[in-house]
Amino acid sequence: MSNLNISTISKTFGSQQVLNNISLDIADRSFVALLGPSGCGKSTLLRLIAGLEHPNGGQIHLDGQDITRLPPERRDIALMFQSYALMPHMTVFENVRFPLRMKDSAPKSEQAEHVRNALAQVQLDSFADRYPRQLSGGQQQRVALARAIVAEPKVLLLDEPLSNLDARLREDMQVELKRLHRKLDLTTVFVTHDQTEALALADQVVLMNKGIIEQIDTPERMYARPRTVFAAKFIGAANVIEIELRDIAGERCGVLNDGTVLDPSPDVELPAGRYKFMLRQEAIIFNPKGKNTVRLEGTIETQNFLGSVTRSIIRIGNQKISAVTPAKNTPVDGSQVTFGWNLPDFLPLQD
Amino acid sequence: MKQASSRLGEPAALITPGLIFLVLAFFFPALNMLSLSVIGPAADGGGFTLEHYAKFFTDDYYAGVALRTFRLSIIITVTCVLIGFPLALIMSRSPGWVRSVLIMLVILPLMTSVVIRTFGWLVILGPGGLISWVLETAGLVGNQISLMHTESGIVIAMVQVLLPFQVLTVLGSLNRVGPELEEASRVMGAGFFQTIRLVSLPLSIPGIVSGSLLVFALSISSFITPSLVGGVRLPVMAGSIYQQVTGSFDWGFAAALSVLLLGATLVLVIPYLFVSRSGRR
Repeated sequence: MSNLNISTISKTFGSQQVLNNISLDIADRSFVALLGPSGCGKSTLLRLIAGLEHPNGGQIHLDGQDITRLPPERRDIALMFQSYALMPHMTVFENVRFPLRMKDSAPKSEQAEHVRNALAQVQLDSFADRYPRQLSGGQQQRVALARAIVAEPKVLLLDEPLSNLDARLREDMQVELKRLHRKLDLTTVFVTHDQTEALALADQVVLMNKGIIEQIDTPERMYARPRTVFAAKFIGAANVIEIELRDIAGERCGVLNDGTVLDPSPDVELPAGRYKFMLRQEAIIFNPKGKNTVRLEGTIETQNFLGSVTRSIIRIGNQKISAVTPAKNTPVDGSQVTFGWNLPDFLPLQD
Repeated sequence: MKQASSRLGEPAALITPGLIFLVLAFFFPALNMLSLSVIGPAADGGGFTLEHYAKFFTDDYYAGVALRTFRLSIIITVTCVLIGFPLALIMSRSPGWVRSVLIMLVILPLMTSVVIRTFGWLVILGPGGLISWVLETAGLVGNQISLMHTESGIVIAMVQVLLPFQVLTVLGSLNRVGPELEEASRVMGAGFFQTIRLVSLPLSIPGIVSGSLLVFALSISSFITPSLVGGVRLPVMAGSIYQQVTGSFDWGFAAALSVLLLGATLVLVIPYLFVSRSGRR
């Protein structure tokens, strides 16, 4: 059981409010991503959980115990630093044993056994006697990971765990982290600015912006139903289209900026006014058919061939809409096209 | 071939000015001093002699001077290490402006003339001075005391001026290490002092070694401060050498003292460097 409850946490650095009244419950054994652009406060939140910073207001509870004022060494929380923070004057073995040496009164032989197990988890058993500088970046990270899990902490924190790796290693590590999480059943919180990383790893994504939480959801829901303009733009690439809802001949209609009336009109119950709607690039269909499908006329302005798919920028009036469609069925650049989308794919957003 | 020669030529060209300077300003005078120390007085024909060295080893007075010089230098160095490390640690982990103020305070003594600074110490250390007054008011001593003409006085005055060398070199190593390893140590369960013992201290050993070498070399050759604070009753090597040159006009003996001082320093410093390097791995 490792429930982490964060309630009404605020943090300021000087005159700058970094976290503004954040509340968040992290369930036992969940894998949570703190996602957001740089400066959104996600790293500060992680450091608050670890005890490396203290909040100006609010509480943090771990399994019902108030740990807000506890120093880091008494929290039973492990943190893997972005830079790994391996001790350069200690071997891999000594590095991984460090938490056991501090927290565990078990005899040395037993500790050595734990260290070997942890190193085996990350496939580094044969590297115990090396120094960190004799390892590659990927190996150093696996040492840092072994060191974080060796003492079986209640919560594992990872700060930008994949940012220092090249593309191929990053994919390996994603698989590795997911596997370890499933195997160790460890409550895990990681910080990332990369939405694909958050979607790929987490079972719960906490989207942060400017010191507040924008949305908490599963990756699937976060992608399918972002609530705000920020969420729609940050998670996946989305068209944000501004329309006006007004009554024409007694019927509520959606009107684009250039006066084009959407048919059928958006399936929403909102008062008249201007709204922003989200439309995923891949939700666009060329030559659409069917009853619940919006149909519009436009011109393909530019096109990028991306292998399996093609990205087209469609101009309609003064509005540009980006579409990603299967390469095979995409009309050629410069042509007049009929395009559209299924009605449920057009979602209203809050500002 | 051309490329290979230019690869050697470029560093050689860069090192030449420094090398010329070193030869003219260091090796040449050092050799000159070495030859002076083994040449007899001109009146006796100026031939080879070891009489200057013999004088040093047969006269207890000079052995006492040498011993005092080394003892004081070691005490000064150890004091600088003990004060310098915690100070550098605080500086390295303070916010920017606090660090700037602390660095200014530490460097300030270097910006005053050595003579003025030492006269300042005479006022503070002397009878009825600040230290005497504080101890007396606190009831720790019965009547006026003076730290003038004591070894403690020399140590206090020397530590003040040599501390910046120690602090700044240790600060350099601590800054290279950065605060992250200390944070990692804390998260892994080590307390504040454990973190210092297991992480900060071992990682700043290169800085402590080079800083303390600097302090030792500077204090063993220091001259004005020990002469003014210690006076004639507590001569040190550098002071005695000066005395031989300006008072007794015995250049040969002064040269022999200098060679012995240099030799003894090297004998202490070289193993120290060697040990600390192997310790660092």
